[in-house]
Amino acid sequence: MSDARIEAYSRALFEVAQAEGNLLVVEDELFRMARAVESNEQLRATLTDATIPVARRQQVVEELLGGKASNTSVQLVSLLVGAGRGRDLVAIVDRLVQRASSEQQREVAEVRSAVALSDDQTKRLAEALSKSTGRKLNLKVVVDPSVLGGLVATVGDEVIDDTVRTRLEQIKTRI
Amino acid sequence: MNLIFKALLAVEDPTQTHHWLLPETAEIIYGGLASVIVFAGLFKFAGPMVKKSMKARTEKIQGELDGAANARSKSESDASGIRTALGDIESERRKILAEADTQATAILTDGRARLLKEVAELEAKAVADLAAARGRSGEELRGEISRLSSAAISSAVAASLNERAQQELIEGFIKSVGASK
Repeated sequence: MSDARIEAYSRALFEVAQAEGNLLVVEDELFRMARAVESNEQLRATLTDATIPVARRQQVVEELLGGKASNTSVQLVSLLVGAGRGRDLVAIVDRLVQRASSEQQREVAEVRSAVALSDDQTKRLAEALSKSTGRKLNLKVVVDPSVLGGLVATVGDEVIDDTVRTRLEQIKTRI
Repeated sequence: MNLIFKALLAVEDPTQTHHWLLPETAEIIYGGLASVIVFAGLFKFAGPMVKKSMKARTEKIQGELDGAANARSKSESDASGIRTALGDIESERRKILAEADTQATAILTDGRARLLKEVAELEAKAVADLAAARGRSGEELRGEISRLSSAAISSAVAASLNERAQQELIEGFIKSVGASK
């Protein structure tokens, strides 16, 4: 998909979420949905498989998000899948998150952790990262068991990696 | 009988001609002239044909003689050629045998050199293969040790990552980032 089309879809999603008055909630829910699609190959294959009828793919989305996300988020993802843009779902959502963050004069900070963070930890981490980078951040925490332990934070081009996975890889390289 | 005798006597009666054996003079003259004319005609008209015929026959005989002489000459030439060829065959046989000997010697020399070269190459390759196998075995062993070590470390670390350790890692990250400015 061309960059212009991704931009157009993300702008459309942004406008709808903003019009519905729940931009922050929608962008957060869609961000989590995008991470789930990114890490689950079967889900990604289902949403992009042209041999599966569109209605069935939309049903999968509704079953997956139903009760866990707002109606706006479900409808927007369903719209993308129905338009045959399931393959670009992650790119469109990432662009939407960037746009929403820019709207708040913030930068997206993606943090990956092996276990979920408590609200307090998330708040303190956001403050620590803001202090460290000198920027206002829109923190997005992704639970990623592959990091094994510790955290890795990505703010723009800057990566702060203190995960067990990276340490093990360093040890393996040294061995 | 008397009658026949009388008749003969009557036919050859000398009184009937001037001579019982010779013809009349005029008849001799006419006959002689006629003979001369006939012979003259023969000489004039048949002579050239006879001469021509004789000449052609002479030429034919001469041609046959010449042909025979040529055939003889050719036969002698062929015989000479055959004798020469026999000599050539013998020299050719010697030449071929000499060339065969030379070629056989060259082939033997080349073959021996090639074999020696191949043996040397095989030896060199065997030595290189042995060295490579030795190196590969060492590398494989090192790789296996590394893999096993890594797997053991990963297992040990994963086993030690309980909830408390996870929380300590998270808190440690927050503290280090907060203090990093």
